[in-house]
Amino acid sequence: MSARRSRAPLASLGAVALVLALLPLATGGSAHYLRLLTLMLAHMAYAVAFNLIFGHTKQLFLCLGALAGGSAYVSVVLARELHLSPWLTMPAGILVAGALGALFSYVSVRRGLGTIFVGIVTLAFSLIFQNVILGLRDLTNGETGIVTRDLGASVLQRAPSSYYAFLLLLVGALLLYDALMRSRLGAAFRALSDDELTAELAGIDVARCKVVAAGVGSALVGAVGALYAYYSGLINPSVYSLVAVDIAVLITLLLGGLGTRLGPVLGGAAFAIIEELVRPFGQLNVLVYGALLIVLFVAFRDGLVAVPGRAAAALLALRRAGG
Amino acid sequence: MSAVLRTEGIEVRYGETSVLRDVTVEVERGEAVSVIGPNGAGKTTLLKTIAGVLRPRHGRVVYDGVRLDGRPAHRVVRLGIAYVPAEKELFPQMTVLENLQLGAYVNPTATDEHLAFVFGLFPRLRERTGQLAGTMSGGEQQMLAIGRAMMAGPKVLMLDEPSTGLAPKLVAEMYEQLSRLKAAGLTILLAEQQVPLALALTDRTYVLENGAIRLAGPSRDLLGDPEIKRAYLGLA
Amino acid sequence: MIPILIDGVVQGLQLSLLAVGITLIYGLGGVLNLAHGQLAIVGGVATALLIGGGVNVVAACVLGVLGAGLFALVVDRSLLVPAYRAHGEERLLLGLVLTLGLSLLIDGYLNYQFPNTALTLRLPVPSVNLGGFRVRSASIGTSLIAILAFLVLLGFLRRTLVGKAVRSIIQNEVGAELCGIDATRTRTLILVLSGMLAGLAGVAQGLFSSLGTEMGVEFTILGLIVAVVGGVRSINGTLAAGVLLGIVNAFASYYVGTYLAFIILLLAAMITILVRPSGLLAYWT
Repeated sequence: MSARRSRAPLASLGAVALVLALLPLATGGSAHYLRLLTLMLAHMAYAVAFNLIFGHTKQLFLCLGALAGGSAYVSVVLARELHLSPWLTMPAGILVAGALGALFSYVSVRRGLGTIFVGIVTLAFSLIFQNVILGLRDLTNGETGIVTRDLGASVLQRAPSSYYAFLLLLVGALLLYDALMRSRLGAAFRALSDDELTAELAGIDVARCKVVAAGVGSALVGAVGALYAYYSGLINPSVYSLVAVDIAVLITLLLGGLGTRLGPVLGGAAFAIIEELVRPFGQLNVLVYGALLIVLFVAFRDGLVAVPGRAAAALLALRRAGG
Repeated sequence: MSAVLRTEGIEVRYGETSVLRDVTVEVERGEAVSVIGPNGAGKTTLLKTIAGVLRPRHGRVVYDGVRLDGRPAHRVVRLGIAYVPAEKELFPQMTVLENLQLGAYVNPTATDEHLAFVFGLFPRLRERTGQLAGTMSGGEQQMLAIGRAMMAGPKVLMLDEPSTGLAPKLVAEMYEQLSRLKAAGLTILLAEQQVPLALALTDRTYVLENGAIRLAGPSRDLLGDPEIKRAYLGLA
Repeated sequence: MIPILIDGVVQGLQLSLLAVGITLIYGLGGVLNLAHGQLAIVGGVATALLIGGGVNVVAACVLGVLGAGLFALVVDRSLLVPAYRAHGEERLLLGLVLTLGLSLLIDGYLNYQFPNTALTLRLPVPSVNLGGFRVRSASIGTSLIAILAFLVLLGFLRRTLVGKAVRSIIQNEVGAELCGIDATRTRTLILVLSGMLAGLAGVAQGLFSSLGTEMGVEFTILGLIVAVVGGVRSINGTLAAGVLLGIVNAFASYYVGTYLAFIILLLAAMITILVRPSGLLAYWT
């Protein structure tokens, strides 16, 4: 009985993976669209991470860009200075990101800091990151950035192998998410979402939940950031800015549905479409994102995943009223 | 219908639970009316609904011919009804004087006049004008709360269990001032746990139990009622 | 040594001015305005445009500040309505995300309309001799503006009845309502005030150095950390924290360069927040 139950989500995951794996065929060889799709996968993976950090444990980390960028720069600089293969240095970056995320979470929980303080501290960290990169000019090349094309990890620089590398990461992230949610930690997450105080009284170690969620999520963010560094061929501070990462991920997750299983995937797909639609507006895309953020958070926090459910409920209500 | 303040069949809910059901209470001009009943009966809810802090699901609250229900609390004060909640709701980091000055917010020009009146009622407040409200004792805070309410120059004063946590001497003092106010023409609506005091001060009393009026009548008569005696006065 | 101290104090006063608007709004209703920096830019940009259009400098500054206040009014009446309807944690979150969205709206528009523009509002006299030290008149000007703003604000809050009403809402909203104080309207007043203070900070920044349309985020974060370090409900604390952090930054800049100094500033603020979340001075006075 339990074997069948655990197979259903695996099946849906497999279906998603299959669809995504076949997508490159639909681009008709266009490098531009393949690039868009690869970026979409990166956003989806970021969103899975943010789902853990914010969707389930309500920790408003506004420093995802800094975490991703921190991991990326650690990996790239180590590879460049020590002439090591990126596959060796990426774990270092991931570790740094995960450790930082866990640290923020741990200190916040210990000090009993609420949402606002976590938001402010992580925002400050975003700013610190930008300035560290700019300040350590000798290592990081400041605003100009570092070219990563000739550092190795050629798998990430060719299409379509880069696409499948990100797909592998995304599937791994989703599997990890499923495993976590099925474990005792997952049950704790669900209890946390409803009411932290009640969960605490019920004996759930809220601190541990949050720190684990933050650590795992941040490590995942670091992984995406590191991969992306080699994929894009060039990194500079603006690649990992607030708008580029944090805002995009927030909107993605809101579109798909906070705390839902496939929300990151659906949201990522929706966001990719929106990004394309907004592209001709140039700098105004930031304005669109702002408006989107507002509308989504006020009206559609359950995301796209909930739309069919809501529509069905509305239809049922209409039919009942009419008959 | 000479009642100046009246609730007409009000129903008040917390979420989906009805806390007050079809409650009709009347207070005439210059009357002192008390509402007594066990904990959780709905006394506080009743006062809060009249004060505009809560909104009734059904029914009306009328004062001097004007509908009160649905108006926010800050409007109700302007109409002349002041409410002293059980929690007092003072401004802890402000001085006694500032608390009183804010009490006169609806009519700032009358501040000095009302201040003199309030100090006359509670001389102890005059001695402590510079003290922070949060540092005062329970009794002093209660006096300040009543004083602040009176700064608005109200025609109706509502008090929610003013004797709670006060030493008997202070309670007696407070009730003496309340009867002075009543003699001066103030209309009073009072919710109390200390039943004998309430019955002594007021003209009429309502007994509220489980969200409904169980008994109503002149306070003097209720003093003699055997059920009341047993339930609230601790007499066999 | 002294010039650095002066520089630190001047910068610190500007930080305080930037942060006090945030302290006001947060203290009043638990809404943290992530678009505060953008409001400052709006004030500065409006002023610069007016000056460019031939308006007298002083008038332009006043209008710019009022414009920022007006903008804040519109925001309060429209965008923030869902936040005010909620309570507690939900209100905090709504306020954060809604103002975050607003900051993007403003940033996006400004960067589109005025890309890469640095606006400087120049003053006629470059520098003045002050007790043996050369001080830029712009420094004096902005310091005076900040000090004056604080004096007026504190005077308003401590002496006037409306100011006391504002403080009362922060201390006990229910109690305030029972005194006849309309909390919603007072909140709007404070938001407009906060917007004007932000605009003033933006104008001061334009006078002191230069104002770029992309500085919004940085301003917001700076304002936030100064407000939090000073104690999010204390205006005196905001003033103290700003000046302190300004001095720290000035000395650090001198010894280790601007970037590192900025990082030190941010780290110092972060550590203060983590060690003492209630801030330097926990309560309003």
